[in-house]
Parts: sequence; C-alpha cells; structure tokens
Amino acid sequence: MSNLRGEKRLLDITGAGSLEQLRIVRETEQGRLIASLPDVSVIEAVEELNGLHDALIRRALELAEEEAARLGYGAPPVPYAYLLFGSGGRSEQTASSDQDSGLVYADARDPAEAERAETYFRVLSERTVQHLTALGYPPCEGNVIASNPAWRLPISAWERKLDDWFSEPSWENVRYLLIVADGRCLAGDAALAERWKNRFFGDMLSRPVLARRMLENTLRHKMLVGVFGQLLVERYGEHAGSLDIKYGAYIPMVNVFRLLAVRANIRETGTLERIRALREAGLLPAETADEATEAFALFLRLRLLSISRSEDGQWIGTGKIAAGQLDVSLRAPLKKALRLGRKLQRQLEREMQHRFGGR
Amino acid sequence: MIKKSLIGLGALLVLFPTMAFAADEGPSATTLDMGLNALWILVAAILVLLMQGGFILLETGSTRMKNAGHVAGKTIFTVGLASLIYWAVGYGFAFGGDAGETLNKFIGMGNFFFDPSILAGEGESYPSTIFFVFQLAFAAVSLSIAWGGFAERAKLSVYLIFTVIFTAVIYPIIAHWIWGGGWLAADGSQDYAGSTVVHLTGAMAAFAATILLKPRIGKFNKDGSANEILGHNQVFTSLSVLILWVGWFGFNAGSAVSVGEGFFGYVAFTTQLGAAGGAVAALLISWLVKGKADIPTMLNGALAGLVAITASCAYVEPWAAVVIGLIAGVLVFLVAQFFEKVRVDDPISALSVHGAAGIWGTLANGFFATPKLVEQVGVGKAGLFYGGGGEQLWVQFESVVVCGAFAFAASFIVLWVVKQVIGLRVTEEQEIIGLDLSEHGNYGYPEAMKKAGNTTTSV
Repeated sequence: MSNLRGEKRLLDITGAGSLEQLRIVRETEQGRLIASLPDVSVIEAVEELNGLHDALIRRALELAEEEAARLGYGAPPVPYAYLLFGSGGRSEQTASSDQDSGLVYADARDPAEAERAETYFRVLSERTVQHLTALGYPPCEGNVIASNPAWRLPISAWERKLDDWFSEPSWENVRYLLIVADGRCLAGDAALAERWKNRFFGDMLSRPVLARRMLENTLRHKMLVGVFGQLLVERYGEHAGSLDIKYGAYIPMVNVFRLLAVRANIRETGTLERIRALREAGLLPAETADEATEAFALFLRLRLLSISRSEDGQWIGTGKIAAGQLDVSLRAPLKKALRLGRKLQRQLEREMQHRFGGR
Repeated sequence: MIKKSLIGLGALLVLFPTMAFAADEGPSATTLDMGLNALWILVAAILVLLMQGGFILLETGSTRMKNAGHVAGKTIFTVGLASLIYWAVGYGFAFGGDAGETLNKFIGMGNFFFDPSILAGEGESYPSTIFFVFQLAFAAVSLSIAWGGFAERAKLSVYLIFTVIFTAVIYPIIAHWIWGGGWLAADGSQDYAGSTVVHLTGAMAAFAATILLKPRIGKFNKDGSANEILGHNQVFTSLSVLILWVGWFGFNAGSAVSVGEGFFGYVAFTTQLGAAGGAVAALLISWLVKGKADIPTMLNGALAGLVAITASCAYVEPWAAVVIGLIAGVLVFLVAQFFEKVRVDDPISALSVHGAAGIWGTLANGFFATPKLVEQVGVGKAGLFYGGGGEQLWVQFESVVVCGAFAFAASFIVLWVVKQVIGLRVTEEQEIIGLDLSEHGNYGYPEAMKKAGNTTTSV
C-alpha cells in the first residue's frame, strides 16, 4: 500500500509544474506521514519522508533548470552534481529540516566555457535555493548552501579545497570536513560526485590523526544524561523541562558513527547504514550494533516528534521534545539509549587519547 | 637584629634605670585583658562592616547592568540610615536592661539614643562603645540580606521605610530574644553568631518582600516555566563571596567577644571548614545533577556553608563543621530549585542561602553540639549525637520556627501596609529602563548603557 502511495506521490511531484503545486504535495504528504507515525516503524517513516524530500528537491532543481533555459542560459554547459549535506546528506531529514547543499561541476575545457559554467551554475543554484525556500525549506544558517560560491565549485577547485582543509586542520576547516563527510549526490552526474568523494576519503585515510581533530570538534555535544542516569532537561525559557533531542542525543550519535565510518573508508552517509556497514566490516560487535540501531531509531522517532513551528512559511524545528511527551514508557528506553551513546563517545575518546596522546 | 635590640635596651637601662620598674605602675592584668578584648572586638566589628562591601558586589553582580548604580549605592545609604535608627532605638530594644522581668522576656528597654561612657567601666570586659559598633554591624548585615528580596523592582522610598522599621523593631526584638536575655535565651537557644538572629531574620524579610513585590518582569513565563535572568558580572559575585568569607571571621570569631584563652581561634577554625564544605558540595552537586558545574551555585554554596556554621561554630567538632558545610552546599542548590518551581523570584538567592542554610545551621546544633564545647560556651545542652537527647534539638527547632515566623509576619505586615498606602514597586516602564535611571537619574555604567538606551527602551 505504501508503495502504491509512494508511486502516486512521485507522479504528483514529477507532474507538478509549479511551486504552489509542489508545496501542496509537501504539506499533504508530510501531514499524512506524521499522522501515520504511531503505526509504522520509525525507520520506514524516515525513509519515506526522505524519499519525499529528495523527490521535491529534485523537482525543484528540474524547474530551476527549465527556468534557466527559458531565461536564455541554455542547458548545463558541463555535467554537474547537486549535493546534499547535513541531515539531507544522511537521509535523516525531519519535517522541518533546512537546506544544506552544494554543487560540483566538471572542469571546463577553456576559459570561455569556465566563465559560462560559472554563470550558469550561479543562476541554477540561486533559483533552486529560492524554490526550496518557497517550499518551506529555510536556507542553512551557516551558509552551507549551493547559492554560496564557496560550496559551488568545479571539481578540480573542490579537490584543491579539500586538500587545503586537510593540510590545515583548523577548527573551522575540520568543521567543513565533517560536513563533507555526510555529503551525498542527490541529482546529476554520479561519477563526478564519486570523484569528489574519493578525494575526501583518499586524504582522510592518509591522515589518521584527522580522526582525533574530528572527535575534538564534536565532543562539545554531550549525551544529555547525568551521573545518576537522570535526563538533563532544559532548565530555563519557553522550553523549560524539555530535552534537546537534536544536540543532546541525535547529533552526538551521528558524530560517533560518522567518525567510525569515515576512518574505515565506509562511504555510507546515513547513520543506520554506517552502523550496518561497520558491523559487516567486523568493526562493531553485533550486539553493540543492534543496541545502537535501536537507540538511534528511538532518537529518530523523538526527533520527528520534536517541537516545530511554522515561521514565515518555513518549518523551523527546535530539536527539543516537550516534557509532556516524555512519558514513563519512553523515559526508560531513552535513558538506556543515552547511556549507550555516552559509552560509545567515551570509548572513542579513550581510544584517541591512547593513540595520539592527550592534548 | 636581636643583638642590636638587646644592646639598645641595655643602653636605655643604663640611661633610665627607673624604666625597669615601670611595670609596677602600668596597667593591671584586668585592664590589659579588657584592652585586648576591645581591640579584637573592634577589629571584628570592622570586618563585619566590611561585609557590606561583599553585599554590594554580591547583589550588583547578581543583577543586571541597568540597576547596578542603584543596587550598589542603596546599600551604603541604608547602612547609614540603619546606623542612626539603631543608635536611636534599635540597640535599646535589643540590649536595654531597664525592662521589667516580664517585659524583658519579649523586648529590652533603655539606652535609647545611646550615650555610652567614654571608657570601659570597672569590671567590664570591654567598652560598651565597641559592643555597640559590633552589634550595629550585625543589624546592618541582616538588613542587607533582606534587600535580596527587593532587588531590581522596589521603589527607593520603600527601602527607606523598611530600613527604619526593620532596624528599629523587627531585628532588635529577635536579637533580644536570643542574645539580649529574652525568653529564647532563657531556654538555652544556641545561636552563636546569628544563623537565626541575623540570617534567617533577613531572609524572612526578603521572603515577605519578594512575595508582595511579585517576580521581576520576564522571570517566569505564562506556563510557569522560569527564565534565567543572569547577573551581569560573575567576577563581582566571586569577589563578593571572598569579602564576605573574610568578613565572616569577624562575624563568628568576633562573637566570642573576648580574647581570653583563645577560644575565638577555634571558632575561626570551624568557620573555615564550614565554608569550604559548602563551596565544594555545591559545585559538585550542580555538576552531577545538571551536567554543568554552575559558578553561581558554587558561590552560594560557600555562603550557605558560612551561614550554617554561624550558629554552630562554637559548639561542634571539626568533622561536624565539615558535614554541616557540605549539607548546606547541597541544600542551597535544592532549595533554590524549589523556590523557582513554586514561582518565587529570589534574585540574590537570599531565601536559599540565608534562609535554608540559616535554619539548617541552627538545627545542626541540636545534633552536633558537644558537651565539652557547650560547657565552654555556657549556653544550652549537648546535641542528639552526643547523648543530649532531643531536648536541645527541640529548643533549636523552636527558635527557628518562632523567630522565622515572627520575622516573616512582621515584615509582611509592614510591607503590606506600605503596599496599600504608597505601593512597593516601580512602574513597568521604570523597571524596564532600570532603577538607575528611574530612581537616581543616572546609570551606574553610563557609557555602556547609553548606547543601548538610544536604540531600544527594553534595556
């Protein structure tokens, strides 16, 4: 049944000729998915939701391409790939995720073509970002977005940039590398995206110490569980009593498995896929993998339930879950999941300490 | 060096042989004893007065910039006013000895507009002038504790009125009950330096004030959740705690009001242990429970340790002083959370630091007072853990309840009347622009506030 609905939705999206239509599809489909949440497994729900987001973003990109052609910019002068970062890159978007995106395009054969490509992809990216904003995806606050020229480069420039970041691993640069690690090709030339990702992993594997820098960059987000096993809730403000699921549970878990995956040359970007791949590679005991999957599924579920509001037509998520929603049946498994996350975090910390010494 | 002095001394003896016999005609041992006492009590009084510097920084650091000048300056003003009132009537009600036996149980009489003899009289172990200054400094501390409940929203005129009544009547009555020969003193209530008399009394006045004034604008949301109104300067707050801590040696060790065989040294010693326990326990408990080690909580813990040990510093063994401090540190953290939950705005944590820890410190005597120390001080009996049974605990409990209830009720009535007649609180607009401007016409931080003031009124 869900397949049938999925196909119909895809038809709706690919058939949508305007942003208004797309927005209506998003609203109805998202509403239906959230309503069905108690009945379906959260993993399926997240998959379906991300399938919806992917299709919407692809369609927005197509509309932008058509518009560029209408405006006289022609067809793409060289092959390109539209990249998603952040939760989009990991296929873990909620109903209220923002846009984190980038673009890579093939190197031009001559300067004239290079200039044309630059103009074309500027227009294409700007249009796409505008369309997505109109669909209710707020632009990334950190400006990691295709309309920002820093994240829209020809492949050789991208490769130079990655090399630079790796050779100068300052806090800012390591942050960029963590973003790239979750990058995924959404549309366009998959081989180009593959080449881009190869450069990242080539650099990564030749510099094992980067793993420690990456860990240091992510340690400030701790699992929100106290020494007595108590939940560390917000104490003040309008969300007093709520738990910051995003930064106190979900993100730390993402960080742990991203790090374990990238240093093992595992290319998956989704956290659950990373866990599976780590287990298959014999890098994660089966029991831990099962527990981690269960814990992460719970975090995903709570994240979907977290407070979101609509602001100027944008869906804005707070990533926090209200105290009222944290009933007794949820608390025990949540605490268990948080403790597991904390254990994994500490294991990694200790290992880095052991391998590279303290700082 | 010694050699040189000896040679010098020898030379003097040769020149003035009578000097060697001067001791015979000099001050008697009693006079010397009196002089040493006087010196120590005056030093202690100065230390206690210096604690006002601590309160200035504590209250200012814990509140916002727009009220800084007001919060700091009003302390000096009220200390001045309190001194005049205490001199005129407060001291007489607390320590005057002219009341009849029945009346004296409740209030002292005499020594109004105190006009002391200029020297210590025959048989007095210190001059009454110095005792007055010492006691006055205590009254002023109690008053400054009360201001915690008024902070950032009470009108200046209310400070004036409350200073008069608190220093003239409320504080002196409680001081009389326990220290001035009143009915609780007769019961053997142990409150060495004033966990109840000074701290609980001040805290209860703060409690009455904060209830009547209602929370500051923006402290609580409609759904009952609290917002954090951060103080503007944690460095001030930390420094304030150090000043108070040092001043507390005058407060507690000075309360020995004698040098004698050096018992005041023991009091200073337990004081240090109590304060240390409070600081350590509060930081650890906030770290364990909230996941972050909270600086304001730790600072409050140090103060709570000091407040708690104030009643018990002369009655308990060193290990007990540590335990009293540790418990006070945990208590202050829990009680602060409780008051926030029941939507009582306590900007300077007066209720948890001086109230809860004051109660705990007073009760602690009922558990930890040792027979030997009780004998040394000569007040009350040993505590529950030293074979004294529950008797002393009951007396301690009684003093806490009676003094707490009286201080609260009296303050509440006074402030309630003021509220009906002239109102307690500045207008919403005045509170938003800040009391510096509304009550005094100038900001405490003119350069910092001017810029913000030009662009928005919600500074």
